[in-house]
Amino acid sequence: MTDPKTPGNGERFTGHGSEWTPANLSASDAQVATQWVEQRIDKRSMLTNKDRVEDVRDVMWQLEKEGQIKVHRIRDEHEPVEVKTLYGWTKRIPTNQLWHHKSCGQCGNIPGYPVSLLWLMNKMDIRYLDETDQTSCTAWNYHGSGIGNIESLAAVFLRNFHQAYVAAKAQGLPEGYYYPLVHCGTSFGNYKEVRGYLLHSAKLRESVTKILGKLGRLVDGKLLIPEEVVHYSEWVHVMRHRIRNMQTIDASGVRATIHPACHVYKMVPEDAIYDDSVLEGNRVAVSTGVIQALGANVIDYKTWYDCCGFGFRHIISEREFTRSFAIDRKIRVAVEEAKSDVMIGHDTGCITTLDKNQWISKAGGEGKAVELPVMADVQFAALVCGADPYKIVQTHWHASPIETLLEKLGIDWQAKKVEFEAYVKGLQSGSAAEQLYDPRLRLTSGPGFKPIKREVIPPPPSA
Amino acid sequence: MADGSATRVQDFIGDPVSDKPAVPRAKLEQIFRDIQEDMRYDHELNGCLNCGICTATCPAAHYYDFSPREIVQLLWTENLEGIYDAMQEKIWSCAQCYTCAARCPFKNSPGGLVMLMREVAIKHQMQSAKDVLRPFSRVMLKLVSTGNQLAPDMINPSHFADWGPNISKVEAPLKVLRKAIPMATLNTTETAWEVNLKTSVELYTIWEMTGVLDQLEGIDENLFDVITDIMDEKRADWKDFLEEQEDNDD
Repeated sequence: MTDPKTPGNGERFTGHGSEWTPANLSASDAQVATQWVEQRIDKRSMLTNKDRVEDVRDVMWQLEKEGQIKVHRIRDEHEPVEVKTLYGWTKRIPTNQLWHHKSCGQCGNIPGYPVSLLWLMNKMDIRYLDETDQTSCTAWNYHGSGIGNIESLAAVFLRNFHQAYVAAKAQGLPEGYYYPLVHCGTSFGNYKEVRGYLLHSAKLRESVTKILGKLGRLVDGKLLIPEEVVHYSEWVHVMRHRIRNMQTIDASGVRATIHPACHVYKMVPEDAIYDDSVLEGNRVAVSTGVIQALGANVIDYKTWYDCCGFGFRHIISEREFTRSFAIDRKIRVAVEEAKSDVMIGHDTGCITTLDKNQWISKAGGEGKAVELPVMADVQFAALVCGADPYKIVQTHWHASPIETLLEKLGIDWQAKKVEFEAYVKGLQSGSAAEQLYDPRLRLTSGPGFKPIKREVIPPPPSA
Repeated sequence: MADGSATRVQDFIGDPVSDKPAVPRAKLEQIFRDIQEDMRYDHELNGCLNCGICTATCPAAHYYDFSPREIVQLLWTENLEGIYDAMQEKIWSCAQCYTCAARCPFKNSPGGLVMLMREVAIKHQMQSAKDVLRPFSRVMLKLVSTGNQLAPDMINPSHFADWGPNISKVEAPLKVLRKAIPMATLNTTETAWEVNLKTSVELYTIWEMTGVLDQLEGIDENLFDVITDIMDEKRADWKDFLEEQEDNDD
């Protein structure tokens, strides 16, 4: 046998072996073969090439028909917009009368994330409720530590979604008026996974019914299951053209890389939105869709599929992993390969990880440091619609060099920062803080609660 | 398991010159049974051809001696010693991204299986689990006592020195910076958002009825004591509030 690596023997090292010969397919046969490859490789077949995929909503409707559960329905008043998911199934995204299920990581660490969302909603006259009666999904802790179990996750899910269902009563409005909108990607993935187990397991339903019963959180003696679990990025996606209509800043000079969040589209992948008009339907559509609609250039990069390195436990106690992964697999590739101006995400842990773990890249020595602004899709959308980069987008909480992006967008961040610092000084001396909604609405029960009619909607603060 | 006189190494690997198993067979079987009896087990494990797609795409496999393929194989072949060994350290490497699950042609979820193994490691109060989770106790304290997993007062330069100087780019006390967030629920420092007292009390009932507090007590008794004190306090506050309401109604 000849050595394929030896030059001059008439063979090339192709990796196919010395027995390889060209197929010499006809043009039509080659097309058939190519189509097969495209179908298997280019499209999202790594996600779809499986058996045993079911639409869990079929189970849900059947259980409701049998009188076993109550479904919190998306009604016409929620102004739903239809989208297609991984397998071409239809998902309805409610766009109005929304109950904000906040994210502890966003609120605690990157508050401009939820503020930008509410600011956009104010501009579009969307009715919503941001209230204090909610827990986190508890899934960050669960995935990090293993403290918790399927029952506790299910009970937390059902409790919070029940509160979303009844919250409007505090404002003299009917049950089901608000529909929950989940801010966190981990909550979104976890709640969908838990909903699936609840629908499949009578035993699990039985055990959590006891808990929810004790809490007074059953509807007509039944568990309340949401028709859809909806992520804020899905709301942004279906509203992207309306958001574009409010755009005041040109984003066409921006090169954006997208970091899709694992718990948004890899966990319960059949529920993620895919849209043929967004990267030909090859990638999850949220974030990419809105950034493209706003005129920025979405640049592909080879590690788009990788996670961010958050790891749940790792960002706290295995930081070498988190920062190495974030820097080497994501930020460095986005900067050096994609020449990106900003990395856009749609999840709490990812934005935190990618934003905070850049400074330490300086430790790599000269020429090894990498920097890249990192923010959520909704923050970018608010910015190009004229939101104040400090009061609303709260960019001062970001460790990454957001200022370079602001300059690229033509925003005078230094002047805005001076204004904001004066505003903060005013607060320190006792001035009243600006709010996006009447703060009294945040209480729906318990100490300090007084019923307030929902009609009281103050105008949003000026940008 | 080695007796009390064993060294730490012997605890893990046993005595190499002894025929006595490092961990009694009955214990290994119990651990496997606990993993297998979880209602999610059959959903997460459907078979395995050792194709390795899961490991090829696994972020933890880049940096640790960890392979989701190995985890699946250990469970699929019911390798009880291997399962026990993996539960000492390897399962804690997984980053829980579920890339493996999204890609597995058999629709296995190695990440999901890792979670079952972590839960069982805690149930059996494995020392390795206690060691691994010690640095995570701040998150557990915040979560179990408030329902929030992260709070503004947890993000400070002394805890996250490697995040650099830009924790906030505007100089002001944390309380004032939080007041400058135009969402009333976020004007807090000890929790990510203002949590209704009723919410906390309801959450405590969930923790109790689902055995989460028992898990916590088994893994970190001191943390458990701190948390139960906080719970008692909040429950007393809630009781006072309800009594006050009743008095007002009268």
